[in-house]
Amino acid sequence: MSTLGIIAGREMRVALRNRSILISGLIFAIWLPVMSAMGIAAGAGEEVTTLAGSIAAVTLPVGVFMGYIFCADAFLREKRDGTIETLLCTPVSLRCLWEGKAVGVAVPAYLTTLLSAAVTAAAVTGLTGAPVAAEPLLLAHLAVVVPVWIAAAAGLIGAAQLALGMRENQILGFVLIFGFVFLIIGLQQVVPGGPGISATTEAVLAAAGVALLALARVIAGKVTKERIVRTIP
Amino acid sequence: MAGSCYPGPPVTQDPLLLQFRAEIYHYALCRFRSPGIPDNRYPVPEAAGVSAVEVRGLSRSFDGREILRDVSFTVGHGEVFGYLGPNGAGKTTTIRILLGLLAPGAGEVRVLGRDLASDDDARRRVGVLFENNGLADRMSAAGNLAYYAGLYGVDDPAERIDELLTLVDLADRRDDLVGTFSTGMKRKLGIARAILHRPEVVFLDEPSSGLDPGAQRMVRDLILELSRREEMTVFLNSHHLDEVQRICSTVAILAGGRIRAFDTVANLTAASDRLAVTVSLADPGDRAHACETAMGLPFVAGCDVDGDVLLCTLADPGATPDLVAALVGAGFRIEEVRRSSRSLEEIYLEHVDLAEGGA
Repeated sequence: MSTLGIIAGREMRVALRNRSILISGLIFAIWLPVMSAMGIAAGAGEEVTTLAGSIAAVTLPVGVFMGYIFCADAFLREKRDGTIETLLCTPVSLRCLWEGKAVGVAVPAYLTTLLSAAVTAAAVTGLTGAPVAAEPLLLAHLAVVVPVWIAAAAGLIGAAQLALGMRENQILGFVLIFGFVFLIIGLQQVVPGGPGISATTEAVLAAAGVALLALARVIAGKVTKERIVRTIP
Repeated sequence: MAGSCYPGPPVTQDPLLLQFRAEIYHYALCRFRSPGIPDNRYPVPEAAGVSAVEVRGLSRSFDGREILRDVSFTVGHGEVFGYLGPNGAGKTTTIRILLGLLAPGAGEVRVLGRDLASDDDARRRVGVLFENNGLADRMSAAGNLAYYAGLYGVDDPAERIDELLTLVDLADRRDDLVGTFSTGMKRKLGIARAILHRPEVVFLDEPSSGLDPGAQRMVRDLILELSRREEMTVFLNSHHLDEVQRICSTVAILAGGRIRAFDTVANLTAASDRLAVTVSLADPGDRAHACETAMGLPFVAGCDVDGDVLLCTLADPGATPDLVAALVGAGFRIEEVRRSSRSLEEIYLEHVDLAEGGA
């Protein structure tokens, strides 16, 4: 197995054994979709593209938030307890360590987000009586746009958590989450195509996600071991 | 002070190689480790491959405060080296610089002749144990070791993990979560993790910190066992002077950002410009008179009656036979004479006090 796979696999195993993170993730993955479904059902009627668009709109913020939750274990906890210092002494480059952790965060965050999307669709179906069609654009959204945004969020938040001190991290966590959410809402509002899901919206969101992922890589490349070690509490 | 050399444990049975190795140690430890050099500068050997750890003129400041000032020392292969100093002296900073986690402000550091900051592959030859052990509480003991075995590319990891868990007496807890372990058990597993990939040099930062006396002894025995069995160089950063005195061959005392002493433990504890000698007399009633007699001798700097014995301080460390002869000549019957060397703690405190006094 590659080094990246070893690191990612370990992060996933540790995340799955962290009950508090799993419970908070699952609560968010179920509570938010049910609340959203009530709003979607009330406003959308039985318009299939509107239902799909609403579900698509909800999954991105959920995915980003899931990334944030799982980052707390993979990046922040290891920094707080100093384990990261030992990992930095292994023959693994800092970039590989960051990538492995980001993948290890993104995978469970993505799976939880898919669960959240399924719960939303089921709740909307239950409330409206109209089944949500497996529309190709919605599937593309879930298969491409969502994982790219989750990876970007995990990478950016992880890099920030490695580089910043504990106090700054508390503030920055919220700043990044709200930044991502406002960016998603802003893009959905700015891109023409109405309230439903559209190819244009998905293309713009996918491009923005890729740009954010690239930005995360650039920022992670600027983080040094010295910076990480000097901000360990 | 310099004189006797520590050859370190043999790494080979080949007589030629052993001879070569002995020559190298003699060269490294005797030729260049001269304590008489002013300004605490200890030249390091020209041949970079000789030393396991080399530090030359290392300085480092944080936020305008100088933590390390012109620190130089070398550690030979196979040595158990003790790096001593009070809190905040810069011991951990030195280790972090050696491991490439922090950049040196000035000077140069090498581990096995390599710069670990820029050489990812060289880090395969080095192990490290920081205070937190580097373990995940939510993984099993074997799972934690397997993770690091993967990162270091250990051959046949299952066999090595079994071997180490047996060595640190945790074989029966191999599948238990580390979060359920005691501090001592975590420490032992941390040491196993640090040597998992058979490093040539292992850095142990306060390995006995927070442990009860029994666990401290266990860790100490483990370090000695590893040094002998795994034939590795041990760089030990510790506050436990008794522990250092028992297991280290060489020590450096860091205080006020500078190296204050650097020598073998034997040399440091034996060396002194004065020597204390305790003399027990067969007839305790003679003690006061014998003390007066001793004080009249030119090579005796001082003499006190301390309980049942005379405590004499010799101005000339080689004058013990003369003292005995003079007392016997004066008619005193001597039952026992003992030379008392200083403990590492006394030497350490002397240097630290000197540094804190503005030296």
